[in-house]
Amino acid sequence: MTRRFKHLPGQIGLWLGVALLVLWSVGPVYWSFVTSITPPNALVSNSLHLWPEAATWQHYAKLFGANSTSQGNEVASVWPQFSRAFANSLITSLAATALVVIIAAFGAWAFVRLQFPGRDVLFVLVVATLAIPAYTVMIPLYRLMISLGLIDTYTGVTLIYVSAFLPLALWLMRSVYQAMPLSLEEAAWLDGASKLRAFVQVVLPLAGPGLVACGILTFLSAWGQFMVPLVFSPTLATKPLTVLIPEFVTRNYVDYGLMNAAGIVAIAPPLLLVMFLNRYLVSGLMAGAGK
Amino acid sequence: MAEVSLSNVKKDFGAISIIKGIDLEIKDGEFCVFVGPSGCGKSTLLRMIAGLEDITQGALRIGGRDMTKIGPSDRGVAMVFQSYALYPHMTVAENIGFGLRMTGHDKAEIAKRTTAAAKMLQLEPLLDRKPGQLSGGQRQRVAIGRAIVRNPEVFLFDEPLSNLDASLRVQMRGEISRLHQDLGATMIYVTHDQVEAMTMADKIVVLSAGRIEQVGSPLELYHRPKNLFVAGFIGSPKMNFIPVEARPHNGGIEVTLPGGTLLQLAGTLAAAGKMTLGLRPEHATATGAGDAVLPTKVQLAEHLGSETLFFVSLADGSEIAVKADGLAPQRPGGAMQIGFPARACHLFDAAGNAVLNGDLTR
Repeated sequence: MTRRFKHLPGQIGLWLGVALLVLWSVGPVYWSFVTSITPPNALVSNSLHLWPEAATWQHYAKLFGANSTSQGNEVASVWPQFSRAFANSLITSLAATALVVIIAAFGAWAFVRLQFPGRDVLFVLVVATLAIPAYTVMIPLYRLMISLGLIDTYTGVTLIYVSAFLPLALWLMRSVYQAMPLSLEEAAWLDGASKLRAFVQVVLPLAGPGLVACGILTFLSAWGQFMVPLVFSPTLATKPLTVLIPEFVTRNYVDYGLMNAAGIVAIAPPLLLVMFLNRYLVSGLMAGAGK
Repeated sequence: MAEVSLSNVKKDFGAISIIKGIDLEIKDGEFCVFVGPSGCGKSTLLRMIAGLEDITQGALRIGGRDMTKIGPSDRGVAMVFQSYALYPHMTVAENIGFGLRMTGHDKAEIAKRTTAAAKMLQLEPLLDRKPGQLSGGQRQRVAIGRAIVRNPEVFLFDEPLSNLDASLRVQMRGEISRLHQDLGATMIYVTHDQVEAMTMADKIVVLSAGRIEQVGSPLELYHRPKNLFVAGFIGSPKMNFIPVEARPHNGGIEVTLPGGTLLQLAGTLAAAGKMTLGLRPEHATATGAGDAVLPTKVQLAEHLGSETLFFVSLADGSEIAVKADGLAPQRPGGAMQIGFPARACHLFDAAGNAVLNGDLTR
């Protein structure tokens, strides 16, 4: 009892900090949700409402509906566009994530365990690409993609994502492998395992949390990409949600409700992914390997 | 048959030479211990036999086959690591059976042999646990189980007991010795602990700075060290080294001890000179009995109950240790007459090589 209240000022400070952090990260999401269930006319009212006086699902209905009305007029449904963009976002993000995790899992191991000339220089060069602003390479990259015929293709967008997010994943996995005792692999070799089998059966399972972290980071970055698809995904063939949603702004009307409803739906996949993978991010997997 | 033979084996790391030419024959079924101070290259040598380090030069043969360029998985050796190196994501049973899985044994065979190994090491109740749920001694046993389950021809141990507490170490020492008797396999064991070396080995290899100082049975090394290094390394507490003048005399050797006392040793000496007399603490007496008697002053007494270890200073100020009965009455600051038999004395020349070994066993 006394112990709990001993550091009351510290406790209060801690909770205040936590509350600020929660407000900072959840606040915008909440506001987006509130906007998505507020009727269009209430959105432009003078008084601030933290919760709409008359909540409505009309924006969601517009998003998912077969037909839709805008400002009283019957207009084409946005669902075909939205669903297509949703699928595009999923396909490019998942493909990039899978490729990055696989390449980082093997590549980082090579950077740690294999001896080859220029190994460390090569690694520094790869990581140094993180420091190059995306905008500076946009034009040359665009010309390259045109010459390869990869504009507005899943392959093209995925490749760009992989090249952008791989260095960080390699860096992360390299430190994961560096922290892993070599003796585990040596024990596996002496047990008769080839280098590849020792890697797949001993190293990879133990690197699981690192791989999950790489996967989450890459998926979230790819899902949230705007610049790259804006340039390289001009049509709905590959256009993702991030590019589609701002297009709900028309010349004479900004459909805030629809945009925010779409935004809330767009949060779902990364949220589910993180919630699902979170359990594999456990530490302490290495317990018991040594003394 | 799995004798291990090394001929002129060398290891360089860049420009630094770690192993400087080792010639060694380890017989089939022999328990061979590599011992030496930190950095002497004993672990590197073991890892070279395992195939975990390349051999820069020279040849390694196991069971008559040239293994110099063969990978670790094909050498037919098993190793117990200092850190145990258990696979943390596998259960005890999976850890022990891993090697059999790698070599393509069927499930029934793996289960049978895993159970047999677990029974031998009293691990049966723990087979479903993960290494993280085991104590240090149990982990050690799992590491040994992983080695024995494959029936290797050669076992390699890299300081396997150094992470255990003292009592567990004594117990595991006994278990490994028993295992050696039961399996009859060739075992090579690396340690820096000379007590482990003395108690377990058939053959001890004393290494220093990448070279073999001496190879022999534990008692051979104890009674007939070839040089100052081996003399000082084997035996606990370590051998006393007393600076002396030695010269040939009447077909024997006459030695002038600190304080001028003369001692006659049997043996031959080519030329007179400054030398080092080696005397083990257990061969000196606190009662003054012996061929040579020296007046000393007690500096320190360590009472171990069954015995007392006295550190006494000689006439020239040099300090030596004397192992005496636990009831010896002397106290620090007091005088003590120490004595020792001439037969227990070793004599080393200026280069540190033995000119004369004591002959208590002859």
